[in-house]
Amino acid sequence: MNEAQDPLDEQLVKARLGERAALALLVQAHQRSIYSLALRMLGTRDLAEDLTQDVFIQLHGKLRAIESNKHLGFWLRQVTANRAIDQLRRRSRVPMTSLEDEQQFFSAESDADPLLQRHLRGLLADLTPPARAVLLLRYQEDLDPVDIARTLDMSINTVKSHLKRSLETMREKTVGMQLARCEDNPI
Amino acid sequence: MTQEIESRVSAALRPVAPREGFSQKLLARVMAEQPVRPKPRRLFSEGAKPLAWWLTASLAACLVLAVGVQQHLQQQRLRQSGLEARREVVEALRMTSQKLNLAYEAVKNQSTSLADEKSGV
Repeated sequence: MNEAQDPLDEQLVKARLGERAALALLVQAHQRSIYSLALRMLGTRDLAEDLTQDVFIQLHGKLRAIESNKHLGFWLRQVTANRAIDQLRRRSRVPMTSLEDEQQFFSAESDADPLLQRHLRGLLADLTPPARAVLLLRYQEDLDPVDIARTLDMSINTVKSHLKRSLETMREKTVGMQLARCEDNPI
Repeated sequence: MTQEIESRVSAALRPVAPREGFSQKLLARVMAEQPVRPKPRRLFSEGAKPLAWWLTASLAACLVLAVGVQQHLQQQRLRQSGLEARREVVEALRMTSQKLNLAYEAVKNQSTSLADEKSGV
């Protein structure tokens, strides 16, 4: 069975031929995802905006090598994640977002528990840069372990082990959170 | 339990919108950037002519210098060995002359003593 044609594939062809409107459409289609990945990797909006900008500028020069919109998404995520990991490795301590950025870190549309969001942010801050990228690619970008391994150039076993450890930590924190709630609201 | 946590994490990690005005700024920056495609630079292409000329001239100069130095050294070696040979020949002649002188003196002494003996008898 052939996969359904992605309407953005056509825009990619036009963008390669120099059509600016088509390129603008592609940028708009991917910027939210790339910005979120950069923000949750780097922790601050300023750094995330700089990285997003750099990645899309780099894309402009690489358009001829991009074969489809799916490939474009893969390329953007790969470059963003790897550049963020490099930046984090160069920094000794990873400052996660300041309190004023808290509302920007999670989507306003998200109905997730604020306490869970705080734990999740704490977890992201504690993870090593590659483990953080794995978690984000899995749960933000909805990639399977094979695609994550390809994106980050690591083995599937490493990806699975990062995911397992992150989920275990999250589970422990969630259980602790529920116990605390039970204590706060006794029957 | 795991699935529940996974779905909650996924819900919490939905992509967020960037700050107001970022999209316009991003598009403007991306549009302003022209893909820079470096031209293939051949050694003797139009732009690379001065470089190629200097490179060739330097190589030729180095070659001439190397040949000159080589020849000079060879001549020095030949001259040195010639002088050495001449010194050896002079030394050999000097020794031969000394030997001849000694022989001459010996023969002369012997003939004088023979003549004295004959006249004394």
